[in-house]
Amino acid sequence: MNALTHFLAMGGYARYLWPCYGITFAVVFLNIYWARRLIARARSEARRRIAMREEWIVEETQA
Amino acid sequence: MSWTWFHRLGSPPYVYRLARTLTPWFAWPAALLIVAGLYGGLVLAPPDYQQGDGFRMIYVHVPTAYLSIMIYTSMGIAAAVGLIWRMKVAHAVAASCAPIGASFTVAALATGSLFGRPMWGTYWEWDPRLTSELLLLFLYLGYMGLRSAFDDAQRADRASALLAIVGLVDVPIVHYSVIWWNSLHQAPSLLRLGRPTIYTASMLVPLLFMIFGFTLYFVAVLLMRLRGEVLRRERAASWVKEALAS
Repeated sequence: MNALTHFLAMGGYARYLWPCYGITFAVVFLNIYWARRLIARARSEARRRIAMREEWIVEETQA
Repeated sequence: MSWTWFHRLGSPPYVYRLARTLTPWFAWPAALLIVAGLYGGLVLAPPDYQQGDGFRMIYVHVPTAYLSIMIYTSMGIAAAVGLIWRMKVAHAVAASCAPIGASFTVAALATGSLFGRPMWGTYWEWDPRLTSELLLLFLYLGYMGLRSAFDDAQRADRASALLAIVGLVDVPIVHYSVIWWNSLHQAPSLLRLGRPTIYTASMLVPLLFMIFGFTLYFVAVLLMRLRGEVLRRERAASWVKEALAS
């Protein structure tokens, strides 16, 4: 058995150990993705509000 | 002692900018520590004399389980600060903690379950440690559910803060469950006076790297969420336009 397959076999614990690591790092990367999505949504919502307000100011001054 | 720093932390534009500046200072050291911890834990550490290579699951199980209770404690403290000093930013911190904590509680339960199967012969047991950890997940979900039930941010803040504070009772129960009751779950590996179950430095150091790395990672993700949360609450404020331009 070469070194890599020996490492991946984890002394017979591979079927428990690798899912363990997989779940943990899925959660790690998902949290980064969710946080980025939260910021992006909050930014676009704030931009939309600012644009609406400016449009409203223009309409008010024209009226 | 000057309290200006505390008052500044109550200012949303200041916190928004501070969070953005600080994020990389936590994120990069976290990444380095976690990569080093993974190499140490999976490659350098010797197999355990009882659990063989299976023991390497502690390098993800312990950090996720530790985060689940550390984040809950942070959330409870932030909620209490928000309630006592009527500090909106503190409520935003508490609200930002919840989804991160809930996801790491799921990870702690899942990795624990996978750890339990080969070591105890079962994926799940209604043991005090496991049951109190499951309760922690329900506390997080209850907190998030309660927040989303209110349209008004201030009412959501106050009601959910009470739940977060009451739920703090579960934190010592999770931690001491393995000492108070004779449970299936093994005793603490690190926080045990006199006789830690991990002896050798090559096993212990990677675990400390992982725990410290995950802590810094949590702060980085919390700062990111906090930015989104502050922006969402303050979208009508005049500083937001300036902040978005830069």
